[in-house]
Amino acid sequence: MSQRLLEFLKRYDFSFIGSMSAIFLVGILNLYSATHSQSHEGLDSLYKSQLIWFGVAVGVAVAISFLNPKTFERFSYVGYIVTLFLVFLVMLMGKVGMGAQRWLVLGPIRMQPSEFMKMGLVLAMSRFFTRVSPEKELGFKDLIFPGIIVMVPAIMVIAQPDLGTGMLLLFIFSMMIFYKRLKWNTIATLGIIALVSGVLMYNFGLKEYQRKRIHTFIDPYQDAKGSGYNAIQSEIAIGSGRLFGKGFKNSSQASLNYLPENHTDFVFAIFNEEHGFFGSVFLIILYIVFFMRLIWLATSVQRFYDSILVIGIMSIFFWHAFINMAMVSGLLPIVGIPLPLMSYGGSSMLTFGVGVGMATSISNTRNFFN
Amino acid sequence: MFGEEELVKIHKDRATLLSYIITAAFGLVLSRLWYLQVYKGETLHNYSIQNRLRKEVVWAPRGLIYSRDDQLIVDNIPRFDAILTPQFLMEKEGALNKLAKILSMEPTAIQAILKKNSNQATYRPIIVKKNITFDELAKIETQNADLPGISVDTFISREYRDKEIGAHLLGYISEISQTQLPKLRERDRMDYRLGDFIGQFGIEEQLDRYLRGENGHEFVEVDARGRRKRYINTDNLFKGIEDEKPISGMNVKLTIDRDMQVAAFNALEGKVGGVIAIDIDSGEVLTMVSRPSFDPSQFSRGLSPEYWRSLVTNKEHPLRDRNIQEHFSPGSTFKALTGIAAFEEGEIDENTEVFCTGKWSFGRRSYHCWKKEGHGATNLVKAIRESCNVYFQKAANRMPIDALAKYAKAFGLGARTGISLPREVAGLIPTSEWKKKRLGQEWQPGETLSCAIGQSYVLASTIQLATAYAAIANGGKIYRPFVVKDVFDTNGDLVKTYTPELLSKIEMKNPKTLKFIREGLFQVVNNPKGTAWYRRGQGILMAGKTGTSQVKGASADKVHQKCELMDYESRHHGLFVGFAPYDNPKIAAAVIVEHGCHGSSAAAPVAEAVITQYMKKYHPDMYLQNLEKDKTIKDNWIKSLRATAPAAGGAHGEE
Repeated sequence: MSQRLLEFLKRYDFSFIGSMSAIFLVGILNLYSATHSQSHEGLDSLYKSQLIWFGVAVGVAVAISFLNPKTFERFSYVGYIVTLFLVFLVMLMGKVGMGAQRWLVLGPIRMQPSEFMKMGLVLAMSRFFTRVSPEKELGFKDLIFPGIIVMVPAIMVIAQPDLGTGMLLLFIFSMMIFYKRLKWNTIATLGIIALVSGVLMYNFGLKEYQRKRIHTFIDPYQDAKGSGYNAIQSEIAIGSGRLFGKGFKNSSQASLNYLPENHTDFVFAIFNEEHGFFGSVFLIILYIVFFMRLIWLATSVQRFYDSILVIGIMSIFFWHAFINMAMVSGLLPIVGIPLPLMSYGGSSMLTFGVGVGMATSISNTRNFFN
Repeated sequence: MFGEEELVKIHKDRATLLSYIITAAFGLVLSRLWYLQVYKGETLHNYSIQNRLRKEVVWAPRGLIYSRDDQLIVDNIPRFDAILTPQFLMEKEGALNKLAKILSMEPTAIQAILKKNSNQATYRPIIVKKNITFDELAKIETQNADLPGISVDTFISREYRDKEIGAHLLGYISEISQTQLPKLRERDRMDYRLGDFIGQFGIEEQLDRYLRGENGHEFVEVDARGRRKRYINTDNLFKGIEDEKPISGMNVKLTIDRDMQVAAFNALEGKVGGVIAIDIDSGEVLTMVSRPSFDPSQFSRGLSPEYWRSLVTNKEHPLRDRNIQEHFSPGSTFKALTGIAAFEEGEIDENTEVFCTGKWSFGRRSYHCWKKEGHGATNLVKAIRESCNVYFQKAANRMPIDALAKYAKAFGLGARTGISLPREVAGLIPTSEWKKKRLGQEWQPGETLSCAIGQSYVLASTIQLATAYAAIANGGKIYRPFVVKDVFDTNGDLVKTYTPELLSKIEMKNPKTLKFIREGLFQVVNNPKGTAWYRRGQGILMAGKTGTSQVKGASADKVHQKCELMDYESRHHGLFVGFAPYDNPKIAAAVIVEHGCHGSSAAAPVAEAVITQYMKKYHPDMYLQNLEKDKTIKDNWIKSLRATAPAAGGAHGEE
């Protein structure tokens, strides 16, 4: 018995759960630091619920790791349709509630279906590319059906309105079709079309007040006057960390409550303020290791479904991490995208657990049957 | 055909490219971090330790409110607060003592304020004293060097020039509270912030989007002693850091006449009630006053707890508006509508006579007229003039309740007028269907008799009654009452103008109906036997109807009890609704005086005061002519007094 257990543990791939735990450890310490002084806003115990969410997410990851990857494939479209339905439900309720609605409330649980939609999309895309034209390079015509798969949820999410998450779905989609060997000239054409139409629309197709409205539309509760005050305070926080940071629990920007969403979207700024440039190098290396491990897994499996699914999972987390870091440091405009495992939030943690569970399952299958 | 494993392999080059892309992306992030943390690190570090950069709101001046006669009634006036920023407070004792002396406060009181706010961030200014005088302001400014961390905050206060007059109409502004914030954001889809001011009542609420304007902001650098100066973006360190000037709110001109407001307010002195007057040919509301009232200026800057308590504990409810937010039994003022219904349905004509003995036994109940000995033989004009209950009950008994309701509703009762003010009540005109639905019972004929004299289920507001009587005066045209005439931008250019809205034109089947109703209403005031003969005023030639609204269902034995002898709470409300001048109507007015006992003595003088002010100001020629006509009426009366026995006289009470 113990022999078999030992054998099992030897073959079980702990690298993903390990990687996840390492980043989470950094994240939870940072979250504690960002919120510990905010007892008057009731945020000082957020780290406790974040711990519970992490426990749940690891549980989900372990449970999923025991499933056969073929199960994922079988239920791909089901997963897509269920998550799409949830997003649709939120949209309906949002209509009734007359306002921005991203949350679905089921008794005590509030969830953000658009978070799960990303996983639903990745599953559906993987399944589609496995069954249709498996070996050929993709051209325009091959993008019609996948285009529908991504545009339906993307438009619904953007209408919530949550432009950030909607764009994220498109980015994840792009990375997956890139992996599925989209022809280079198609990539170039698509890129040029997107760029030109975007610039034209923004500069000539829209009036000033419409542009302003778009800014408000992206996030109605952000500073509507376009001063970028949050972004500025975020840059001050980051810059003031200098090379080595001010030290744990020493973020003045956070404790003075200068940053509005310092426990969700702006945790990376707090981290930079307290741990400086070298701290960020460390954190980013943790993320890169995790992503590289996923890419390596994608190239070493036998079934193409497993391979592209892993790339899809990787895309979700990569885009979150990159966009969040870029917006917090002033490279991109502020859109509400959380930093995986660092920002407070249960739904995004659960998505992470599901992704890690699938990757582990795929890796284990390879180990056990080779 | 590829095998599965091959399939994965041919994607390897794309996987490798992906790993380059990812590395490059994070490289980009790291280079940006290098720029911020190393290249700009020192500068940004300085900003962070002193929190030097601060964004401050520049409040937009709220739009002004003018009356129809171009008098400024709501204004903005700068007020000054002494503020203290703990972060910059040095030699605490000395500075606080100096400040205490300037503000003539106890140093311990300032300490207490500091302590109360000790849990908030030290860079946040704390208000030490509100509304400081110019003298105090000057002292703080000149002793600035000895008072680190202490400064003066300018605040634009909303001033309602006539204080309590028309407060319910104008409303007030106050800060958005924590609990209101999410609701208002949802409602208006606006980026409200905690502490933003918003119209919370009346015109201020209804026209908030015009009056509000748009706040601006400016970036301020704060030095180590808390002194502020404008931030100049010399090193282009930050993106999007631009000051933005506020955009002033738009000015509003009301249909309300300021002098009539004052007249109405004074006429309601010592009374609890409301008066509303409208232009009968447009629906413009000329006057809308309710008493007791409150001072809206008090709300615009942190309402003092004492003042708030005095408002909410007052048994007469000063915050309640009596004109559009309250309804009550219209009492005898409803008889005009019963008369119209019976006349139009052909159940009565001007010659129909009813013999009133002072009571009428119907079914098992006995319906009393207010006049114990009865009115004797009574036709329509006399019934209105002397407010005979039995006449209207017998007339109403000839038709179903639904026929009566049809006419009352056509004249605008039982539904909101749609005036553009918040929280209007609908009132109630019962029908047999309504009763079945609401109470699950069949309509009883006896109930029609109570409804005929404006009691029982019937409920109306003064604005509805004024609208109905305006329609009697203008030949059946129902206008939607409105209070805002024009909206101007700060350059004085017209942005929006509100025009009269004709809701319906009631087609009278019988051309004589309104003629005789008006004749009756005229005699109420201008015939010695009318219930309001002693309140007829001078130069206004008013027509109207008195009424009383029973507060509690008066039992039969109490029906003739003298109202003034009852305890205050159970006294009847007094009402008067009328229009003027009789021969060329211009204005309609409705008055309620709670627990005023009589429409004639309590309510009619208020209408008279308002209408007199109106006639003198807007129709001075007609006013003079009417004085002549009044004289003739009076002379005729004196002549008739001399001719007949000395016993004759006006009906003093009613009902």
